[in-house]
Amino acid sequence: MPNISSLQTPLSALRAHQRILDATANNIANASTPGYRRQRVETVAQGGAAVNGGGLVLSTRSGVDSLQVTRSADDLLIGRATNEEASLASAESTSTAIGRVEAIFPEPSDIGLASQLDALWSSWSELSTDPASQSLRSDVLAKASTVTATLRRSAVDLAAIADVARERLSLLANEVNGLTAQLAEYNRGVNGLPNVPPSMLDERDRLVNELTKLTGAIVKVTDDNTVAVSIGGHQVVQGLHHERVEAPGGVLRLVRNGQVMLPTSGEAAAVVSTINDVIPRYLSSLDSVAASLVSTVNTLHTAGYGQDGVSGRTFFDPAGTTATTIDLSADVIGQPGRLAAGAPVFPGPVAPGPLDGNQARLMAALADSATGPDSRYQQMISSLAVETRTARQRAEVQTTVADNAIRDAASISSVSVDEEMTQMIESQRVYQAASKVLATIDELLGFLIERVI
Amino acid sequence: MRVTSSMMARTNLRNMSQGLARLQETQGQITSGKDFTKPSEDPGRATSAMSTRKDLRRIDQRMRSIEDAQGWVGAADTQLTSALDRMLRAKEIAVNAGNGIAALTPGARSSLAKELRAVRSDLLNVANATYAGRSLFAGTAAGVAYDGTGAFMGNDEAVIRDVAPSNAMTINVTGSHVFGKSGVGAGTLFEVLERMAVAVEAGDRVNAATEQGNLDVAFERLRVSSAEIGTKWATLEQLSVRTQDDKVALKEQLSQMEDVDMVESLIKVKSQESSYQAALQTTAKVLPMSLLDFLR
Repeated sequence: MPNISSLQTPLSALRAHQRILDATANNIANASTPGYRRQRVETVAQGGAAVNGGGLVLSTRSGVDSLQVTRSADDLLIGRATNEEASLASAESTSTAIGRVEAIFPEPSDIGLASQLDALWSSWSELSTDPASQSLRSDVLAKASTVTATLRRSAVDLAAIADVARERLSLLANEVNGLTAQLAEYNRGVNGLPNVPPSMLDERDRLVNELTKLTGAIVKVTDDNTVAVSIGGHQVVQGLHHERVEAPGGVLRLVRNGQVMLPTSGEAAAVVSTINDVIPRYLSSLDSVAASLVSTVNTLHTAGYGQDGVSGRTFFDPAGTTATTIDLSADVIGQPGRLAAGAPVFPGPVAPGPLDGNQARLMAALADSATGPDSRYQQMISSLAVETRTARQRAEVQTTVADNAIRDAASISSVSVDEEMTQMIESQRVYQAASKVLATIDELLGFLIERVI
Repeated sequence: MRVTSSMMARTNLRNMSQGLARLQETQGQITSGKDFTKPSEDPGRATSAMSTRKDLRRIDQRMRSIEDAQGWVGAADTQLTSALDRMLRAKEIAVNAGNGIAALTPGARSSLAKELRAVRSDLLNVANATYAGRSLFAGTAAGVAYDGTGAFMGNDEAVIRDVAPSNAMTINVTGSHVFGKSGVGAGTLFEVLERMAVAVEAGDRVNAATEQGNLDVAFERLRVSSAEIGTKWATLEQLSVRTQDDKVALKEQLSQMEDVDMVESLIKVKSQESSYQAALQTTAKVLPMSLLDFLR
């Protein structure tokens, strides 16, 4: 026989399923929100149906109790996905930067430095067949200034890539400061809370994800639910406190004591290595091409004789031995007659006949030198090609790895509309049934009361 | 494993964009006609292609050197052949004169001498012949090889052309080599002819006989030079053919390295296209599906 307290049981069911429906609605509303983890209402049965034990009601409470809203998330999987995303950010940033370096050197082609060098050697060869020709002499100077201009422009382009990276790093430092401040704020918020609400956890994960993608930060969740963050071995968030970072001159460092942080992953790692390794390395390769060009050509040129029978002149400015500073020598600029096409006559050396072109011929033979500028340039291009390819392949592989990790994390956390629909139907039916129970008990009680009166 | 629609959307999107990227790459290869446009797309082949392009440019340069050398040697050959022709006439006159110089009238001797001087002047013209404005027999000196009196104005230095890898060929023969050197032996050809003309004019049988011998020596020297030039010509001819063959071979190599295999790429683009279409279709069908479609 029902008693008044029997009304509590269907009521608890109505309450619990109200909450479940709320959670379902929330899940569906956020089905495509990035970083949202699906929420579940945990329910437990309360006691059992009231049992009449010889006039004694053994269980006074029955029904269902909804404990709390939890989020479905595997922190290990989420952490792994975040770290893989950080590696991906680093690999992609490296690949982009080195791809930009590659774009500076259009090879193999008929317009790159390789063909311009060949054109220079070729013009010397032409001059050797007709050393008296002023137009051929001018042509040599024109070809040489094309080569020097290309070297200088390439050096400037390389430096520009480093400049862009430096700007990116200082923006990145600002973003890091924003994120660490927000994480410190989060720490203040959760301080003393026994249970952290799911939405706050989602927000925490989002901040950690962004910070890790930027810097490869290592994040630890402590027992009191606060987070501790370190970047490159330096603590930047601890409790309510956060450290500001700055990026002057291509390094990331703490504002407080100027200690340099070396990020091992994330975009910052790639940007720092672009500024401090990739660009300087290719700039120095380019410098070695320029230095070898200046020294090999000048050695031959100073030994040769101009049309006026004078020797000892330089062709390239001997002071400009880097790609940035290479230029024609003041000895020959605008003075095509001074080009040393003639080889000294041995023994001697004695000035050769005015139509001798043997020094020009030797100059043209520099094209085949195994240690000359051409082969150095080719070595540089070949190692650039390999490095670019490796960087791109790493980024491709990492894309797959990161995607898998993200999928693994999402398989636990993401909202399935089908699941939610099923849950909704289930809750709806239970809600309807509980209402029916309530109505039935009410009817029975009413019937009883009517009879008694 | 739980699969949700957002995961499927993500995976499908990635696969489709990868498919599209592959399609674009193959299409780029077909439209550009090149297998790779950046060295990183195939570092090994790009490096070889760079070397081959360099070799091709060097070969073009060498071809120009060979052509220039051929022009030079051809001109020298023509000149020396005509010189030999004129020398035969001089020898004929010398033989005639040697046979009975005393019996000839002064008028006849004088006309023979005149003819000898005409031959000498013709030969002097040959010796001053030019190619592209440059004296063929003056070595590396500027200006004419011989002045009006027949004195050598040039030098004995070699004119060299790079006609093959590490093969520098001397393409000139100098005046002293072809026509003899003043003060060495009987002197230059022009000195011999002049002395001959004087001897014939004077009816000096002894001197005429001596100079006839000298003329034979000079003729032999000219013949040797002409043969040398002929050998150079033949070598250049061979080199020219071989260099042209090399160029064709290199071009073929480069094409194999850089150019796209059209048939392969077209088939590839077709199959990539159909797999991309399939991906689009299945995505369009599967993604909108949910339980909602079946709940009424």
